[in-house]
Amino acid sequence: MTPEWHLPPEVVARRTSWRIVLAHTITFRQARQWVPALLAFGAFRGFTDGPWAVVVIVAVVTAVSLGSAVLAWSRFRYAPGPTAVVVTRGLLSRSVRTVPLDRVRGVEVEAPPLHRLLGLVRVRIDAAAGAVQSDEEELVVDGLPRAEADRLRTHLLARRGAEVPAPDSAGDPAEEEFARFDDRWLLYAPLVGSYLAVPLAAVGALFRLADELPRRWRPDLGRPDLTDTAVLAGALGAMAVLLVVGSIVGSALVNWRFRLVRRGGSLIAVRGLLNRRHTELEIDRIRGGTVTEGLGMRWVRAARATALVTGLGDAARRGQLLPLGPRTEAWAVTGRLVEDPGPLRPHPPAARRRRLVRAILPGAVVAVAGVVLTATLGLWWVLLVGLVLAALGVPVGLGRYASLGHATGPRTFSVRSGWLVREQAVLQRRAVVGWQVQQSFSQRRQGVATVVAAVGAGAGGYQALDIAAGDAVPFAVAASGRWAEALSGPG
Amino acid sequence: MHPDPARTPAWSPARNAIGLWAVEGVLGALVLAAVVVGLEVMLPLPTWLAVLLPVLVLVEAVVTIGFRPRLRYRVHRWEVTAEAVFTRTGWLSRTWTLVPISRIQTVDVTRGVVQQLFGLASVAVLTASSQGTVRIPHLDADIAARVADDLARRAELVRDEAT
Repeated sequence: MTPEWHLPPEVVARRTSWRIVLAHTITFRQARQWVPALLAFGAFRGFTDGPWAVVVIVAVVTAVSLGSAVLAWSRFRYAPGPTAVVVTRGLLSRSVRTVPLDRVRGVEVEAPPLHRLLGLVRVRIDAAAGAVQSDEEELVVDGLPRAEADRLRTHLLARRGAEVPAPDSAGDPAEEEFARFDDRWLLYAPLVGSYLAVPLAAVGALFRLADELPRRWRPDLGRPDLTDTAVLAGALGAMAVLLVVGSIVGSALVNWRFRLVRRGGSLIAVRGLLNRRHTELEIDRIRGGTVTEGLGMRWVRAARATALVTGLGDAARRGQLLPLGPRTEAWAVTGRLVEDPGPLRPHPPAARRRRLVRAILPGAVVAVAGVVLTATLGLWWVLLVGLVLAALGVPVGLGRYASLGHATGPRTFSVRSGWLVREQAVLQRRAVVGWQVQQSFSQRRQGVATVVAAVGAGAGGYQALDIAAGDAVPFAVAASGRWAEALSGPG
Repeated sequence: MHPDPARTPAWSPARNAIGLWAVEGVLGALVLAAVVVGLEVMLPLPTWLAVLLPVLVLVEAVVTIGFRPRLRYRVHRWEVTAEAVFTRTGWLSRTWTLVPISRIQTVDVTRGVVQQLFGLASVAVLTASSQGTVRIPHLDADIAARVADDLARRAELVRDEAT
């Protein structure tokens, strides 16, 4: 089995420079995975044989490192072909990774000190943004001479050169305001979980600090009489005020004078009281938006709007269109960027049944245990707790069902779910990079399915929970394109 | 039972996959058996447990060697259509995944040590979304290489305007 078994004949598979073996031996790059085994062996044998044992161990470790570095080098190939780059690697198991050239987003050439000493560089190829999990190593060609690396880089990026649009040099384009934070919206803050957490954390830190202080520095508060209702009510009231004020102050620090403007092809957000933050994102890369409403925010019709942007790190914070404001404002700013697909369609009755069962089941289990305990030990309160939990499950289940909805429009589609935090995502059809239809055994019996749109932005996937099984493929086709018809018939 | 939400892809994995899964089952059963033997030798187990544990291991071995490989072979399906890669997996809970060729970012072919013994390879098709990954396990190595090559070529031909 040759490593080139998959390659078209005109492409030459190349090795990296042999000198990289030195670097990898010194840094134990491949040998690192053997260290636990060596330690276990050492612990088993014991390290009591004196200095010779240490010498032997060092020799063995170095030999293992050298051996695995040589093996890794000899089994590594990269082939910059006319349409794709192919990287072959693997010590025992083999892996061949093919990246079409026009999917290459960027190429990074780096030279760590040891590499520089050997006259080598490392080339990182950025291709499957977001898809590569931490355990899957990204595409790295380690150990090329500088000139060869530059050739590879030019080859990989040759396709891109033509398409990169010329920068907007038409002077200073006019600004258009998309959103501006109204100071009154700060009053929403006490109803938002994340802002409430700010004063709670501050109070917690204060208590820890008080614990650390020497005794004589601590203020003597005596021992307040908590049985006195007036004292208790006062304490609770003070805490409530502290929470409210703290959350408003916290929100003001972050969101002060938030302003979102469009300048040319970019959206620019400025905000913050002490630390003025300035973030910029390209409108071309926006694939959709989410409008999020927590339980408390829904009482006062407040919401938060976030843009879903491809290739944006820390997108949740940097993609913010409106950090906090009235629902109508959140939808207005979202609507300027992503077309509204129309009203949401409710999900079938089976979905309501499923949400209710899910919400009531934990309470019901406790109640059944309570019945047993009441009969055997006379512990009636477990039964009571179970019944209360089950009863509370009814509004929760109904609320969860009420949140469900999906819609498709001419250019966009939308899905909504969540009760504690309700999130509606509006996505462009072109945002979809794949579909997943999931059906558990009970979903199969009830004739529903969950459809997940894979999207290269935001959370990576947005789901329509429990839609009628027969609607799954029509929804996917309407929300993306005719290619999704392959789900239902030969393509 | 209601009708399925999506159709079944046309193709099965390589026939050899049954053998590979059975070997994995044998390895797992051997490990379990070793653990049980160790327990029986080291600990003074009550008689009923000393009898039950080997029986459980035996049942597990029969299921994972004799039954599960065939079930898996029936359950895993895949297909490459004119425009997309399509898979289905799962027995009680099932998952269909469809990725259009125009959105493919990377194609991986991997051959594990045991796979090499059986002449098999797995294909993974990656997109810009972590939830849009299609995995086709245990194809004939030649077919896997051809599929990967074909997908990469076609992906390069279809311009990706979005991601």
